[in-house]
Amino acid sequence: MTAAAADMDSSVGPSGAIMVLLVEDDAPTRERLRDVLAGEPGFTVREAGTLAEARAVLGQTAPDVLLTDLQLPDGHGVDLIRETRARLPGTEIMVISILGDEESVIAAISVGATGYLLKDAFPTDIAATVRDLVAGHSPISASIARFIVRRAQREPDAAVRPQLNTARLTPREIDILWGIAKGFSYADIAAHLGLSRQTVPGHIKSIYRKLEVNTRGEAVFEAVQQGLIKL
Amino acid sequence: MSAGAQPTGAGATSLSARWPRSRFALLHLSLQATFVVLCLFAINVSLPTPDRSHAVQEATVAGPNGAAPVRLPATFPGPTPRLINLALSFTAPEKLTEEWSVMTPRFTNAAQILVNGVVVLDTRRKASNNRPDRNAADIAVIPAQLLRPGVNELGVRLHVWGPLSGFLDTLYVGPDSALRDAYDWRVLLFSTLPVVFSSWQVILAMVLGIMWFKRRQETAYGVLAAAMALGALHTFLIPPEQPSWLAGVRAAAIGSAPLESSLVLVFCMLFLGRRLTPLFTVLALAPGAIIVITGLAGGPEMVRLAFIWLGLPAIALSLGGVVWLTHAAALSRRDLISVLLASAATVLMTCLIRDVLTIVGALPDQRIFVTRMAYAAMMTMIGACLTWRFASALNEVDSFAGRLVTQVREAEDKLRASFAREEQRKHAAALASERTRLTRDLHDGLGGQLVSIVALAERNGAHGAQIGEAARSALRDLRLVIDAMDDIDGDLMLALGAWRERTAARLRPHDIRLDWRPLSPGGLPVHQELRPWHVIQLLRLLDEAVTNTVKHANASSITVSFGSFRDQGGAARGRIIIADDGHGFSGQATPQGRGLDNMRRRAARCGVAYSLDSEPDGVRITLDLPERFPETDNAA
Repeated sequence: MTAAAADMDSSVGPSGAIMVLLVEDDAPTRERLRDVLAGEPGFTVREAGTLAEARAVLGQTAPDVLLTDLQLPDGHGVDLIRETRARLPGTEIMVISILGDEESVIAAISVGATGYLLKDAFPTDIAATVRDLVAGHSPISASIARFIVRRAQREPDAAVRPQLNTARLTPREIDILWGIAKGFSYADIAAHLGLSRQTVPGHIKSIYRKLEVNTRGEAVFEAVQQGLIKL
Repeated sequence: MSAGAQPTGAGATSLSARWPRSRFALLHLSLQATFVVLCLFAINVSLPTPDRSHAVQEATVAGPNGAAPVRLPATFPGPTPRLINLALSFTAPEKLTEEWSVMTPRFTNAAQILVNGVVVLDTRRKASNNRPDRNAADIAVIPAQLLRPGVNELGVRLHVWGPLSGFLDTLYVGPDSALRDAYDWRVLLFSTLPVVFSSWQVILAMVLGIMWFKRRQETAYGVLAAAMALGALHTFLIPPEQPSWLAGVRAAAIGSAPLESSLVLVFCMLFLGRRLTPLFTVLALAPGAIIVITGLAGGPEMVRLAFIWLGLPAIALSLGGVVWLTHAAALSRRDLISVLLASAATVLMTCLIRDVLTIVGALPDQRIFVTRMAYAAMMTMIGACLTWRFASALNEVDSFAGRLVTQVREAEDKLRASFAREEQRKHAAALASERTRLTRDLHDGLGGQLVSIVALAERNGAHGAQIGEAARSALRDLRLVIDAMDDIDGDLMLALGAWRERTAARLRPHDIRLDWRPLSPGGLPVHQELRPWHVIQLLRLLDEAVTNTVKHANASSITVSFGSFRDQGGAARGRIIIADDGHGFSGQATPQGRGLDNMRRRAARCGVAYSLDSEPDGVRITLDLPERFPETDNAA
């Protein structure tokens, strides 16, 4: 037990480097991402190709960032995100998406992810995105923002998956999401809404947190699962 | 009964809202008092009579105890039937200049008038004269041969057959022209007018009867129709000369009055929504029916007895009931129809009381009966009121039908709208599910493979860069197709927002900045008719413009500006301008013609006006969006 604790302490690293756990089953993609991140200063990368491997790593260490694909050979990334979110609240979670489509990204957000990364993102963007996330800036795409606001402004439709609880979003947050959906920069949005430019990313992270489903509710989890299993 | 079910129904103006109960009662009573006074005043207006100088009033009556003097008008109480002989006299001038006549304004039951012993007038010849309730007058020209200069004998044989006592009004003898006017007036008043009223009653009886026939639930109409029909029958059914050889018909004529009055009572109860038990109905109608049966079975004397002992109390009770019912209704309902009915009952009662006083001899000089006429007039009025009410009810039905039609139309419109909404929703849902399916397919298949190609290509250094770029381009296009299928409710800005993100990521490795510049606060107008294929064409067009800039322009930034402007027609039109700060096409061959042609073709397919300006400081493509995007592909 003490050994494990000591191990965990060491994993954070005395150097203060950002430790990333990369979970991706496609080897070329995993290697590419690993190479990109490992090549950047200030990153240490652990990698896993399956859910089991990822769990094993998470059993030993608490990474700063969990970067995971959703479809894994032995299970679903959503389970991993949910477990990590529950057990390691300090870990930022980001989903790796092929298309950045809202169905997979929103599903990940609803179980605790606060960002997404496109698998074909350029190397510079990959590192920047992870750094931003650690700094508390959650990335959000126009199509995700669009999906959230449109869901917020419509009556809930049980037939549409994934479920999304938008009731807690404030009008200001919805305004910000509209701005993002229409392609405006954070600076534009901040100017338009009379905010400081720096506060916009914080709002976005807060939006993500509000969209997170309390996974203790079995039915909600069920819905999320159903929405994802069909992926 | 529907009449009772709608106390303030059609045609009845409710006064209850404006008048408190006590004030209304006071008003109602004073109104009735006014009616009584007006009624008495009308009755006491003196009837048209010839000049008093032609009056013959002094008579002697032959009796068992010798002749007794009598001054006309006079009543002759006593047993009936009997014959009373009166002897009178008048003076004729020496020389006659015109025809002379003798007129008897009122007689009961019939009179034979003799001049110098010759009968010149027998009232029984005119059947209507034999009706004691008709107030009939009669006149006859005296043959010139009979007239003697000076004093002439005038004899009257007054036939009295009951049930009324004998009565003879003042006789008038004089030049025909002096008497004829008064006679004509009386005919108009007491003969023609009742016929007119009765004709009305016949018509109303038919109208109400038809209403009842077509709407059996309106029992009140049927009962009133029956009462009116009886009243008309009573007027037109002339009993034959006394003594009758058709006692039954005569009995029916006499018996109709109690039957009529009880029918009116039943009508009032039905109309005012009172509960009508079968027992009550039978009791109410029994006296009249008994009199008719008596008339058919027994002789005139029995009818007379039945009428006096059964008919008169029945009439009194019925009318008393009507008065009570209508006034109670007027006081409790306080609506126009009830007040009118109550007033009619008051007038009728006043007339009846006066006639009873006449019959019992309290008013000895009078023998003018007014109840029958008043009754006929009132019935006509009630009938008119009912018809009015019925017409108003029809109006209400019409307006109700009109409202219903409007409401149905509105409901249809709503339904149509909601159906259209539902269709739209279904369409959107179908699109969304198709998009989801496509996304999953691409995600699982093509997408993953393209990502792998990107990863593998990058590991092959410079050689793989082109392959990687091609794979990225394919991924971008996949995302574009998926994005364009999203339901954006016609807001092109939403599609542009996602495009901006993809394009900014794509431009970053080339060190080209993407500026986003709204030209008007509202951005682009919303186009409900916008379809995914429009979006794909426009975004690919923009992609091609960006590709040209990346490949050929050597630019450091691309600016996308967008906004709305008003065209000549005043409609809001969208405009998108994509400009770079490169060196344009100047001095060079234009970049691959195919790319520009493609852009032009894509613009044309969506109805977008496309223009390209190439200057040494950059290329600028202006896209003017159509007022409405075409429904079908213009290229197809």
